[in-house]
Amino acid sequence: MNKPVSHVAVVGADSAAWIAACALRRAFRHRELAVTVVDVAEASKPRVRWTLPSQRGMHAMLGINESEFMAATGATYRLASEHRGWQGEGSRFMHAHGELGSELSGTPFYKYLLNEAIEGRAVNGDDFSVATLAARQGRFARPMGEGDALTASFTYGFHLEEAAYGEFLRQHAAKLGIKRAGGTVVDVELDGSGAVAALRLANGERLTADLYVDCSGPQAAVIGRLAANDRDDWTQWLPCDRMLSGVMPAHSSAPALTQTTATASGWLWRAPTAAHTHGGYVYCSRFLDDDGARRALSTALSGIADLRVDSLRAGRRRNPWVRNCIAIGGAAIELEPLVGAELHAAQLGISALIELFPAAAVSAVEAAEYNRITAEYGDGLRDFTLAHYRLGAARAGAFWDAVRAAPPPPRLAHKIDLFSANGRIHMYDFESFEETDWAWLFLGARLVPSALELQIRARVAQIRPEQVAPLREYVQRLVLSMPPHMEFVRRSGARSAQT
Amino acid sequence: MRPPLRIVIVGGGTAGWMTAAAFSSVLKPEQREIHLIESSEIGIVGVGEATLPHIRFFNKRIGIDERELMAKTQATFKLGIEFVDWARLGDSYIHPFGAYGSRFSGLPFHQYWLRQQRRGDAAPIEDYSLAIVAARMGKFTLPSEDPSEVLSTFGYAFQFDASLYAAYLRVFSEARGVKRTDAKIVDVQLRGTDGWIESVKLDDGSLVTGDLFIDCSGFRGLLIEQALKTGYDEWTRWLPCDRAMAVPCENVGPLTPYTRATAREAGWQWRIPLQHRTGNGYVYSSQFISDDEAAARLLSRLDGKALADPRPLRFTAGRRRKTWNRNCVAIGLAGGFLEPLESTSIHLIQVAITTLLDYITGSNEFDPRIVEAYNRWIEMEYDRVRDFLILHYYATERNDTPIWNYCRTMDVPDSLRHKMELFRQRARVVTYKDGLFLEPSWLAVYFGQRVTPTAYDPLADALPPAELTSKLQAVRDQVHGAVAAMPRHEDFLAQYCPAQKPAMAGKS
Repeated sequence: MNKPVSHVAVVGADSAAWIAACALRRAFRHRELAVTVVDVAEASKPRVRWTLPSQRGMHAMLGINESEFMAATGATYRLASEHRGWQGEGSRFMHAHGELGSELSGTPFYKYLLNEAIEGRAVNGDDFSVATLAARQGRFARPMGEGDALTASFTYGFHLEEAAYGEFLRQHAAKLGIKRAGGTVVDVELDGSGAVAALRLANGERLTADLYVDCSGPQAAVIGRLAANDRDDWTQWLPCDRMLSGVMPAHSSAPALTQTTATASGWLWRAPTAAHTHGGYVYCSRFLDDDGARRALSTALSGIADLRVDSLRAGRRRNPWVRNCIAIGGAAIELEPLVGAELHAAQLGISALIELFPAAAVSAVEAAEYNRITAEYGDGLRDFTLAHYRLGAARAGAFWDAVRAAPPPPRLAHKIDLFSANGRIHMYDFESFEETDWAWLFLGARLVPSALELQIRARVAQIRPEQVAPLREYVQRLVLSMPPHMEFVRRSGARSAQT
Repeated sequence: MRPPLRIVIVGGGTAGWMTAAAFSSVLKPEQREIHLIESSEIGIVGVGEATLPHIRFFNKRIGIDERELMAKTQATFKLGIEFVDWARLGDSYIHPFGAYGSRFSGLPFHQYWLRQQRRGDAAPIEDYSLAIVAARMGKFTLPSEDPSEVLSTFGYAFQFDASLYAAYLRVFSEARGVKRTDAKIVDVQLRGTDGWIESVKLDDGSLVTGDLFIDCSGFRGLLIEQALKTGYDEWTRWLPCDRAMAVPCENVGPLTPYTRATAREAGWQWRIPLQHRTGNGYVYSSQFISDDEAAARLLSRLDGKALADPRPLRFTAGRRRKTWNRNCVAIGLAGGFLEPLESTSIHLIQVAITTLLDYITGSNEFDPRIVEAYNRWIEMEYDRVRDFLILHYYATERNDTPIWNYCRTMDVPDSLRHKMELFRQRARVVTYKDGLFLEPSWLAVYFGQRVTPTAYDPLADALPPAELTSKLQAVRDQVHGAVAAMPRHEDFLAQYCPAQKPAMAGKS
């Protein structure tokens, strides 16, 4: 099997699969790479997704116009998440897709906030962030300008409905010349070397390709046949294994905000799209059964209907690339949707595959590099998710005791340890969430370091109140100049309809 | 207000004085009390006469004036390192401080260059690097800060006299309140409760107490090893050289703006041109050549007349298991040794100092979480340099002497094997966020040592051929145009940082 790759089969038909197909087709259009999407039976797709800002870059790469996408899919913007109750009843914090204040005295603003916290003065960081303040006030505008300008100090992700987004991507894929097979995968044929030889489809067709991209989600319809038990299990840290979801009527003044609320056995979410308000419950079946979860969710979000339950099991595949098969998205990594990174994780896989696209179908060194990079990124996403559960004051209760029972993975422990000792945030080679994201999280959880780096403290000490107050006022003025979020969404859609 | 941190630096070589200079400059007088103990009877190794571009950040951070430093240390500029005879006898390549071309359409330049080479229409890769072309032509000027200019595509470092560097930093440090004592240390006293260092005893019987002891005592590791028994990880199986002979000689011909490392029968020879003389040395493995023969070979291969007798050095490649142990931090040779093939000695000192400065809180109860994080960082820095050095020995076709037969066939770390394989298969360089040596460095050594890719990144085919040709030609024209307009290295030195002629040539 040493011929060049000219045909890729993408297995699965959720948005991650369509993104993978479109991205590969676009990247290799100069060699007219053929891409076929094949559906799988019983694919479980989430109803709603909230995404990271990297989705914007992926859209640009795929040639998707943002206004068209918003209008066609009923998506809304997302500036931040608000996390309630994670460090005990009444606690709440924001994690915005943007800077936390701006640099003063050559020091990141979060260091100033840390110093205030160490000194026992509580300063609310939210007041210094355009993204959090706008999210709280239900306002939105796209970032503008460059560099250190406050108007450029934030970015955004989306709330989107999987069905509408998948359909939009399917149409986009058709325009790019991506074919769709006529039947679903029923069997995988392997050759003598253990590589995929062909896919057997329900309509009797036998589909062959040079590379097989498995986007079938947790069922891992293809790669599961090549490597069955090749998994790092994360359930000791992330034990939630059930996910209940439903819909409520749309809210005409919904903010560009995802809300989560910790409960005795997991956490609830609330996320707006143009057509609905989505809600759900991620919980651990050891501590709460499905009926109990339904009751709890209906009480918390009155009027929620059309409930559906899915299961999940946190972990990642050790080798998502085996022979001529590459698992992307849920087939490679399963993570609860807390930080909104599922499509992002798929994108990391897609980008790595494009960067390491093999000259020949079976190529060991590319697979090794792909597996190394995606493993690091995957562990980083796990750590960021897990940190929500583990930082700051512990919630009482059996579930929360269980969550904190196992020692954290070493790379997360190292990060928490160093921060706790001197306020320094250590970043590894491959991490999706950046220093500022971790700062939002550490500050939000009110994890106060026992000291600050000597040199940072010296610089922070030079910051005067008269430098800080104008920053707060400027952020407020800027946010007041933004239109309401849902009005922005409607106007953006209207603009797209005119063109 | 905390009392000042009492810092005791043991040893006054390059590491000791760099530490003293940085701590005295960066920390405020009320934050620290610095005491350096050195003995004028113990010679300093004077490690690393050639530096890396990062030293400019260090100078900037601690407030050293570059021109003054260069004039006081007989310094020259350095645009890279020339490697001679490494893959095959007769080969020469330069590891430049700068890029080859620049990224475009999402891919590094060399991928397009490889494609063009396949089409039979590319000049040698060196032609697309401003640093290399300037080095080969003996030119130098300061880089531009405008990223759109080709003159912004390189960096530079210094080649200087390490003894003069230490002397310069001593004056700098003493002016900032560093106390210096000329004495030998005869004993180290550990605290009974936890084994932390309480004080060091000097040969006049006095005790020097402190909070933080920085061991810059060189290979022997007076505090970190002799007193604290920290342990050492040896890397001799990959880096077999364990000795060196060093000798200065008279300058002959123009001053090259680069260092040279020539592979020899049992190791390699360095050549570092300074304003007043040329530094030379032979790094070798005692398994493969005797000291006398190494000295004789070295003396027979100098540009000009030797200015002293060859000075012998001994070492073991490796790293201290913890460079921060209890209240003792080992910096420089006390922390680890990697041969100066890529001029990393001063850089590793700099990394240790700046990381330490970044991590400490000012408390004298060193939080073990900070100590562990520091040690992990330093370990990572050493390990990444190590892999890069091993590549030079391993990627060779030489079979003319036993040392090359050994190195060519040795078992290298998996991490390095993987990096090389990925380059061979698709010219991809494994990159990382932290640590030394970025893509151009790996490219230089891969290409220079005949690690030849069998294919390039398939994305490089996306560019239409005519565009490919014109882009490459444009880079080459820009590089050559810019270099043609640059002054000669010596002329630039003469107006920028002329040094005084030493009173007694060769006795520096």
